[in-house]
Amino acid sequence: MHNGQTSIELIFPSILGYEIIARRVVATFANFVGFDQARIDDLKTAVSEACINAIEHGNQLQPHLPVYITSSYDGHRFAVEVSDTGTNPLAIIKEPKTIEEKLAGAASLRGMGMMLMAALADEFIVEPSAAPGNTVRLIWYQCEVAHT
Amino acid sequence: MSDDTKRSKPSEKMIELRLPSKLGYERVAMDAAASLASRMGFETDRVSALKTAVSEAVTNAIEHGNQHDEAMKVVVLLTVRGDELIVSVTDQGHKTIDEAYVSRVPQISEAMKRDDKGGWGIWLIQELMDEVEFTTAPSGGNQVRMVIHLER
Repeated sequence: MHNGQTSIELIFPSILGYEIIARRVVATFANFVGFDQARIDDLKTAVSEACINAIEHGNQLQPHLPVYITSSYDGHRFAVEVSDTGTNPLAIIKEPKTIEEKLAGAASLRGMGMMLMAALADEFIVEPSAAPGNTVRLIWYQCEVAHT
Repeated sequence: MSDDTKRSKPSEKMIELRLPSKLGYERVAMDAAASLASRMGFETDRVSALKTAVSEAVTNAIEHGNQHDEAMKVVVLLTVRGDELIVSVTDQGHKTIDEAYVSRVPQISEAMKRDDKGGWGIWLIQELMDEVEFTTAPSGGNQVRMVIHLER
């Protein structure tokens, strides 16, 4: 039984590979509050993508720049906010190329992260941080959100 | 970001984790430490020892230092410095660690006579880690600093 809002915070350097630690921390938290394995797998993939974006794009692979993660749970809603401290805005691609187009060489094989995060989370928001940088907010609900 | 995180040297890599003082959340710290230690190349048995020590340190911080007050945080700093991993666990110091506990070696025969079989945490941490230091953090809380060396 979960009472009230609980949150954890994680700060790590902008080094590729450290997203694995972030992914594990958030997955352990989600498991502890009762999420099932399928949702945790989605969450791990989306959190990894958000962290890699923060490291590569927002913080431009500068190890001394931190990536901030705040994850919270209120008994129903599980939220993960990933913030970088860089000044390079994360571009949202309005009409992304399909996988087939990418495989055919019509576009870079990279650049699927935003689509993946949008597909895997119940809610996905990218916005500028209060401080310089970007924040990606990923939200999952314990019970599936009804789609009309 | 804590003052320690801000003070990290360029050659150091530091991860900061802040947890609520609620039993069960020590698992988050255990998994973070294990993940980092595995990445550094520590053998499985050393990673297991680290997880046990981190679990004991965070549990102590939740139960004793922060007295189960969920609003109080336990701060876990994981610092990679060359071939060593330094783990620092800090509470907000509701109750300080009794110095007698730090040097005490618990006796199984005595423990078996008690209803409460606890009291092994600090001894376990000292047995499992290469270096251990119990201090008071600048913030006033209890701080356990544990070091584990990578042997190649």
